[in-house]
This record gives sequence, structure tokens and C-alpha cells, in this order.
Amino acid sequence: MTASPQLLRGSDAVPGVAPAGPPPPPGRTPGPAPAPRGAAAGRPGRADGATFLRLGLWAACAAAVLVPIAAIIVLAVTGGGWRELISPDVAEAAGNSLVSAGVSALGAVLIGTLLALLLERTDVPFRRTLRLLALSPMLVPPFVGAIAWLSLLGPSSGLNRAWTEAFGGPLWNLYGADGVIFLLTLHSYPIAMLIVSTALRRIPADLEQAARISGASAPIALLQITAPLLRPAVLSAFTLIAVSNLADFGIPSIIGLPDRYVTLSTLVYRTLQSGTAEDPLAVVAAIGLVLLVIAVLGVLADLFLAKNRIEIDASASAPERLPLGPARVPVGLISAAAILAVTVLPLVTLTIQAILPAPGVPLRWDTVTLSSIERAVTAPGTVTGITNSLMLAGLAAVICGVLGLAVGTLVTRSRARDNGALLSVALLPQAIPGLVIAVAWLVIAPRIGLFNTPWLILCAYVTSFLALVVQSVTAPLRGIPLFAEEAARVSGAGRFRALIDISFRMAIPAALSGAALVALTAVRELTLSVLLLAPGAQTLGVVIFNLQQAGAYNAASALSLIVTLIGLAGLGLAARSSR
Amino acid sequence: MSAVTLDHLSLTFPDGTRGLDDISLDIADGEFVALLGPSGSGKTTLLRSIAGFLAPTAGRISIGDALVAEAGRSVPPERRHLGMVFQQHAVWPHWTVGRNVDYPLRRQGVARGERDRRVAEVLELVGLPGFAKRNPATLSGGQRQRVALARALVGEPRVLLLDEALSALDEPLRDRLRLELQQLTRRFGLTVVHVTHDRNEALALADRVVVLDGGRIQQVGSPADLLERPASAFVARFVSDASVIRGRLSAHGFAAHEHPLVVPLERCFSVGAEQQPPRGGTAVDLSVLPEAVRLIRDPDGPAEVVSSLFGREGNDVSVSWAGLTLRSRIVGSRPAVGERVRVEIDRGLCSLGVDALAKTNVAA
Repeated sequence: MTASPQLLRGSDAVPGVAPAGPPPPPGRTPGPAPAPRGAAAGRPGRADGATFLRLGLWAACAAAVLVPIAAIIVLAVTGGGWRELISPDVAEAAGNSLVSAGVSALGAVLIGTLLALLLERTDVPFRRTLRLLALSPMLVPPFVGAIAWLSLLGPSSGLNRAWTEAFGGPLWNLYGADGVIFLLTLHSYPIAMLIVSTALRRIPADLEQAARISGASAPIALLQITAPLLRPAVLSAFTLIAVSNLADFGIPSIIGLPDRYVTLSTLVYRTLQSGTAEDPLAVVAAIGLVLLVIAVLGVLADLFLAKNRIEIDASASAPERLPLGPARVPVGLISAAAILAVTVLPLVTLTIQAILPAPGVPLRWDTVTLSSIERAVTAPGTVTGITNSLMLAGLAAVICGVLGLAVGTLVTRSRARDNGALLSVALLPQAIPGLVIAVAWLVIAPRIGLFNTPWLILCAYVTSFLALVVQSVTAPLRGIPLFAEEAARVSGAGRFRALIDISFRMAIPAALSGAALVALTAVRELTLSVLLLAPGAQTLGVVIFNLQQAGAYNAASALSLIVTLIGLAGLGLAARSSR
Repeated sequence: MSAVTLDHLSLTFPDGTRGLDDISLDIADGEFVALLGPSGSGKTTLLRSIAGFLAPTAGRISIGDALVAEAGRSVPPERRHLGMVFQQHAVWPHWTVGRNVDYPLRRQGVARGERDRRVAEVLELVGLPGFAKRNPATLSGGQRQRVALARALVGEPRVLLLDEALSALDEPLRDRLRLELQQLTRRFGLTVVHVTHDRNEALALADRVVVLDGGRIQQVGSPADLLERPASAFVARFVSDASVIRGRLSAHGFAAHEHPLVVPLERCFSVGAEQQPPRGGTAVDLSVLPEAVRLIRDPDGPAEVVSSLFGREGNDVSVSWAGLTLRSRIVGSRPAVGERVRVEIDRGLCSLGVDALAKTNVAA
């Protein structure tokens, strides 16, 4: 759940996960190369501002990332919770998690790759519009997507009721395993599409042209030259999506639980809520560790595959598009219809549900009302939720922005042995399911006196979203040669001065857009806050989730609609300003 | 190998820019032709039209006896049976060297044993014997370019197209590959079309050089022709760094516009041919090759040396004379920057000036 918007940024750095370990230096740009030892003036030994900054950043990253992870591992191993792991409930949930994550990742990669090829390499009409529409599920938080789809295909939705009247049974009841897998696929294919599109654009056009000259037709060149070069990106996308879907909470709780389809994440939630278990925290820590191990294995597998990644030179010429010939317009219309159906249709029914007073009321001029929206927005719980979300998201954005700016700049604009390690620590949470991060903070909360306070949510936000800013800062800085700072040094600035005046100044725009992304992600977040819920500290996501759980579908829809519109507007603004 | 015939070829891009404008050119079987021009001149557009990646909007392209492109019909690149080397080598990174070179033969459906033999042969030819099993990532830039050349040659193409094939390489290596390329193409009598923006490379390699600008052919000629008899002020300036001076031609000779420079009539020639210039009393542009600018050391001279670069075949000296900058090539001792000199022009090439051209057009 936390992974989808992260990828908005993450994917344009390297086609793949690349969270642990520094990404490979870009081909020809003279990036931060290892310094000739002893040659750099002012280097070893002399402590200055830059040294203290580095120490401070290590301390901050350790507190935000390493301590919680260590805590969950220690409790999982020593707390005795692992005994619960062999219970049939856990086994069933684990099986469901693995199947739903695996199948949805497979489907997402398939759809994403096909769409990327269609939109990047053929002359299908309305490409720009199709691309934007196809990416739009990424802008809607998964739990909001689930609520929207329930308004279209829930058991009592207008469509299913009409179908039952006409044919004696519902068209498709979304509740259950198939619905969970469908929605997970839908919410993750844009990530696959982004990763594969980026990889496609990095493949030089002349590789295919060389094949054409050698006697290959355009489809054969695509199949024999381009497709094999895409394989690493496709595998990366698969691992990434599988790991992130493994621990998604919103979709399995809203779509799966009513049909008793339990995954590890919903099991954790239930265990924490029920209070029947002897030591719920030890049990969920053990489950969290299992998830962590699976995620780490996935990332390691991906890194191993990345070792065999083929190096490709930068491309200058634009690739030639494959003419679809007479199929051009039909293919365009069919894909437009399919994309519109899965992206716009649920939003339409969500809107309809939001402007009706109660489920089952037919849509007529006289039944349309704004009362659902009004009630939902003015309820005291909602106001608290919005206030809390705004405050927590704002603070998280500021903290992540400052910390991310400092870490991202330091590791790209200086020459030190520990740069790679520092960057890895800061990016590590990207490979960790949000659920694990939440449990980790629950584990250490009593020790640091934050138990049952909203600040715990803020801590988890910082851990989860720091990587967003670090990535958006490092990506552009990596391309600028270190001469920029060296020129400042030659002009008389000290090491620290040059870092402040040149490096930080260059990085600020990227840090700002990274921080904006953090705020937008955090304000619509559910997994972390639902698990770390403290009295009076519910967030907007939790408010919507609770309304839905309580059966107030119209009010939940109304709030979901508002969240979606705000998210779309915010991301639209962010995209515009970063251009 | 085959001849290539371009017949009134024009190409307009979808956005309306003119890529090629009425190009007609006959490339003989076995001829090495270089397409030379500044960036945006249309040289790459022309090469890609021959390759089949671009379709001309008017005119015809024939390779050998086969008509491969005319307005509205274009044979795709894979059916033109050509070889091409790209600027960035474009060696496929996911295959070994052998598989890369093998590919055109596979597409032609050549039998396995025959393929292996020819791949080994052509790798030997480009100086990479025994490299078939190597991964391209382990090769140097020059070696990759040789792989690309081997791949372009292995299928015995009708024409070899080189798209800035040597431009990405560093100087000493580029020089060596230039030599090898000439040996190879001459030995097998290949028809070659070579696009480059490097003037020395075009002059060194080609039988004939085609100078392009703005999508039009400015001059076609042997390297010696281009140097000695440039067809226009543009060619003189682009190929030989000529200084182009605006002025008037009268019975006494050439007089520069608002400048003391005068060139006697007997030293003025018309561009393109060694004959006397057009009519007297007209506005002309005088192109002066650096070799024709003589500098005489004179403390009272009107011109001042502003730069003086050493060169193997002659020193490159620029002088500033009352606002006019002239380039001169001098063999022997070169003046220092800041020295005063007198300037004499041995030979100038007149072309109708822009004003005069406008008038002639109105008259016509």
C-alpha cells in the first residue's frame, strides 16, 4: 500500500527495486567516483561541519530505520510468538497472501508490459490520453479504489441487482479471493507499466534499426532485440509488486474479510484488535518477521538478477513506432474502452453512491442529495481525522524533506566510503512492507513513551516515506559532475560551505517536490495509521475505513470521492510544477 | 555491389520542415561517396532515406535495378539488402559477438555451417579473429565498432551505409579505423555512402564528396575539386574556412563594402570555374581561401594578428583589419599575436552577392 506512490519516483531511477545498495553509477556522466586517497585536500582526519552533519545523519537514519527493524527482529525471536506461526489460521493467511500477491503481480506485469509496448512502441491513436488514464489507478489509494469498486460490483450494487433481476444471479460479486486479486492487479499494473516504459525508452532506437537493416521485419526486431532487453525490468517489476502486495491492508480488509478471506495483513490487524491472544504483539512481530524475510528474499533475488543486467548506452534518437496499419483505430478504441471501464467507471458509481442518501435508493433527480457528503464532512470524527491527517502529513513532509535533502545531497555530492551504506539505510524501508514498519513502531512505542499517541504514526511515516525524498534528490544530482562543488572550493569556500551554498541549493527543488509527494501520500494513507491507532488520533484513512466497516457506505463513498479529487488535483499540480 | 540512383528526391517532415529538397545523384557501383554538411543540412536524412527508415515525399530511389522508393511506396529496410554501421555501434548487448555478426545471415536463411564459416571470415577481416564467443560488454569502443562493421559486411550487402560511423571514437583510433575502412572497401569494391560532419574525414576517404546544406546539394566533386574549385561561397567557407567579403566588382577589380580592401581584376575569378568573373559593376561576395591570404610583416601595416595557431601543414593565422577578420594559412615562420601586418589577396572567387541575386531574379 505504501509502495505504489513511492514508485512514482522510484521507477525513473533504475528499472527495478534498487533499494538496498547504491544504484549503479550512470553510464558516462562523471559521477562521484572514488577519490584518489589522500589527494583530496582537507579530507582525512580534520573534523569540520560536514563531519558533524554526517554523524548526525547517521544517528537520525539509525533511529528512524535501524532501531525499529532491530526491535521487531528481537521481539520475534525472543518473544515466543513464533509458536503461533504453525497454527492453521496463520498458515491459511500466509497461503492466501502468497497466492494473492503472486497472481496479482503476474497479472500486473502482463498488463503493464502490454500497455507499455502498445503506448511506447506503436502508433496507436490517443496515446497521451490513454497513458494518463492508464496510470490513474496509481493516484487513488487502494482502499479508496476498493470502496469505489464495491459501489460498482458489490453484492447490492445497482449493476448486480439489475443483473440478478434479469438473469437470476449477480454478474460478479467482488467480495472474496477473486475480488482481492483483481483489485491488487488493478492497483499495481501502473507501476509495472511505468518501469517497463522507462526501460523501453532507455533502449537505443538504433539497436532495432540495426536489426531492420540486417533483414528483420519490425515485429521480429521487437521480439528478438527489444523483448530480451526488457526482461530484467519485467522481473524487477514483478518482485517489487509481489512484495508490496504481500502486505497490502486496504484491499484484503475491505474486499476479503467480508468473505472470510484472510491474509497476513488482515490477520495482524485482527490479532491486535481482538485482544484474545496472550501476547498479541509477540505474535504479530513473528508474522511481521516472516513478511520481512519474504520481502528481503525477493529483493535479494532481484539484486542477483540485476547483476546480469545488460548495460545499455544512452539513446539519442527517438524509437520508430510500429505501424498497426488498418488495426490502428480498432486497437485504439478497444484499449480506450478497456482502460476507461476500469478507471473511470468505478469513479462514476462512487460519485453516484456519494450523492445518494442510502444504499439501494435509485438514482433520480429527486433522490440526488448532498446530504451524504455534508454529513460525512461535518461529522466530528471526520473533522478530527482531517485535522490529524493534515498535521501528521505536514510534519512528515517537513521532517522527511529536511532529512532527505541532507542525506540525498551528502551521499551524491561528497566522496566518502560510507556514502553507499548511508544511502542503503535511508532507502531500506522502501523494500519493507508498511505493515512491518507499523508493527516495529508498536514494539518500541512503550520504551520511548509514545504508546497511544499520534506521534507514533508520525514516526512510522518518517520511516516509510524518507526514501521518497532521498530518491527524488539523488536522481537529478547524480547527473551533475562534482566540478560544481570543486569550483566553489577553488573560489575559496570550505568543504561545509560548498556543501551548503552549492549542493543543497541545487537539491532544494527536488527535495520540495519529494516532500510534496510525502504529504500527498501520507494524507491518504491507511495501513500504518490503522495499526498504530491511538484514541482521538484517527486519520482520514481510518475514518473512511471505519465508516465502510460500519456499513455507512454512502458517507464512506462521499469521503473517498473527496480524497480522490484532492489527490488528483495535488498530483496534477506537483507534476506541473516539476516539469 | 550495386549503384544507387537518387532521382529528384524530396522529403518534407510531418511538421512541415523540409528535410531534402530535389536531390538528384548517381552513385556508381563500387564508389565511395561521402555526404558532408553542417548539422541540419539533411545528410543523415538522405542516408536514412536510402536505408528505408524514412520515405521520400517525392522522387525515386533505385538500388541496382530495383526501384526501392517513390512517392507513396517504400520498400522496408529489411528488404533492401543493405549493411549499415551506426554512430553508437548498436551492437546488441544480449548476444555474443558471433551471434551479433551471425544475425543478418540467419535472417537470410543461410545454413549453419556456412554461417559459422562466414562469421569467422569476416571477424578475421575486421581484425577480431576468435572473438565470436566474447560478450560485447567486454570489448572496447573501437572493437565494438569493428563488430558493427563485421555485422554490416557479413551478408554481402548491395551498399554499405556509414552513419557517422567513426565520429564516436577518439582521435588516434579513429585515424587507424579510417585507414582500415579504406583498405577494406577498396579491396572488395564496396559501394559506400558515408555520412560525416568531419571535413578531413570526408576528403580523406571519399571518391566523391557531396556537400549538403538546407536539404539541397551545394556541390558534388572530388576532394581536389572541392578545395580548388568551390562552387559557392558556402562551400568555400564550409570546406576550406574561406573568408567571405561583401563588396562590388568593377573594371578595376573588387572593392570591399565600406572597407579599404581592394583586389585587382586579374586576381578575381568566378566561383566554380577558372574564368573571368561575371559582369562589372555588380555586388558580389568574394570568397578568399586561407592559402590565398598573404601577410607581410609591416610595423605600419593596417591589420593586427589576433591569433596564431601552429599546424602541421601550415600555421593558421587570423588577422583583424578595420573590423574585418581574415584567416590565412602560412608555411614557414608565423607572426606573433599583436604584430602588425599588411594583407595581400592572391586570388579571390566572386559569386553574385545577395543583393545582386535579388535583382537578377526580379529581372528574370
